[in-house]
Amino acid sequence: MQNNTVEILLIEDNMNDAELTIRAFRKSKINNNLIHLKNGVEALEFLFGTGKYKGRDISHKPKLILLDLKMPKVDGLEVLRQIKANDLTKAIPVVILTSSKEHPDIERAYALGANSYIVKPVEFDEFTKAVADLGFYWLLVNQPHV
Amino acid sequence: MANGEKSDALINYKKELAFQNEEKGKRAADFIIANKELAFQIKEKSKRTKELLFANKALVFQNQEMIKKSKELVNSTKVVDALEKRVKERTKDLESFSYSVSHDLRTPLRAINGYAKMLEEDYGTLLDAEGNRLLGEVRSNAKKMGVLIDDLLTFSRLGSKGITKLLVDINKLTETVLSEINQSMTHHAKIKFSYLLPVVADYNLLKHVFTNLLSNAIKYSSKKENPLIEIKSEQKNGELIYSISDNGVGFDMHYVDKLFGVFQRLHAEEEFSGTGVGLAIVQRIIQNHDGKVWAEGKEGQGATFYFSLPDTANNK
Repeated sequence: MQNNTVEILLIEDNMNDAELTIRAFRKSKINNNLIHLKNGVEALEFLFGTGKYKGRDISHKPKLILLDLKMPKVDGLEVLRQIKANDLTKAIPVVILTSSKEHPDIERAYALGANSYIVKPVEFDEFTKAVADLGFYWLLVNQPHV
Repeated sequence: MANGEKSDALINYKKELAFQNEEKGKRAADFIIANKELAFQIKEKSKRTKELLFANKALVFQNQEMIKKSKELVNSTKVVDALEKRVKERTKDLESFSYSVSHDLRTPLRAINGYAKMLEEDYGTLLDAEGNRLLGEVRSNAKKMGVLIDDLLTFSRLGSKGITKLLVDINKLTETVLSEINQSMTHHAKIKFSYLLPVVADYNLLKHVFTNLLSNAIKYSSKKENPLIEIKSEQKNGELIYSISDNGVGFDMHYVDKLFGVFQRLHAEEEFSGTGVGLAIVQRIIQNHDGKVWAEGKEGQGATFYFSLPDTANNK
């Protein structure tokens, strides 16, 4: 049911950050059909209908993927690489949401086809604004690839 | 006839013998001389040989020394290479440490700040004014620590960041910096500057310097009735010297050495906010440009911060 109408896919291993992000979306009233996946493995299984998500209709694609880079086992860059390497998923906008602008992977993320790279602000009001802005832009302003 | 002839022949023979004897004696004398000469030469030669042997030994010794020295050189080059490798490794370690600090410390801070805000939003009405004040303190401190981490990272990153030098119009730069400051903080300081000399420097780094020094001047004069800030530039002994003066709280020259240290503050946080990293960043930027920073001040009577940069812009 909900798996077929997912609009926002949040891939984040930190439960606190996930809660803050979901709250920020809810506050800006654009959190319809958000699904939170807790690691890279789960994200890939969901997107490609394998493992836990075997049998999911993968032609139903999220409108936006929010991806944390630092995750155990399969990290964000690997998830990004697989999304952008697959014809089925490569057109989905992927926004990297990470903790630090020091990230040595900014360049690599863009090279792998990331659509945006956002540093999560420490201050909650700024954080809410950043999440609201990106949700507004990617879900409402941006014209998706059909 | 036969007897007469015989005796004549004998006489001649004797004469001949005597002559030959004389010759032999002469030759013998010559031989003796030549022999003496030879003996002398042989003596000389053996002397030379001894000298040569000695010189040869010296050469062998020098040669050995050279081999030793070149081995030492090869070894010290190896040591330098090894040291360089270690420095590179350490720098890399430091960079990844910076990244971890930045990432791992910011994440829990964001949670502290965010959850305090959620508490305030959802349960604020259940708390009295004091309860809300306490929550506010939690949030503002989390935010402050975020700024502190960012400042520290800026400071550590300055070491590895390259410098791109261009001719910088300091008048324009000052105006840009002031308009940015005006957007982020309200103040009533009067800022005076006339023509400021251009300099060859890294635009972004120099902007950081001006932003820091001007924000400080505004901050530390904010409690004066008529805050006045003056920016000046002069050319002196092949250097360009820029100064930013204010008529604010100033400082005791006794503590002048502490001004540019990391985490060094001369004022209490409640009095003037700050992380104590700003001037350390300024100093590092100026030093990376082969310049110097210094300051003069008097408690209660304002401060002047100076920095010098090499004058390569041909200001004439």
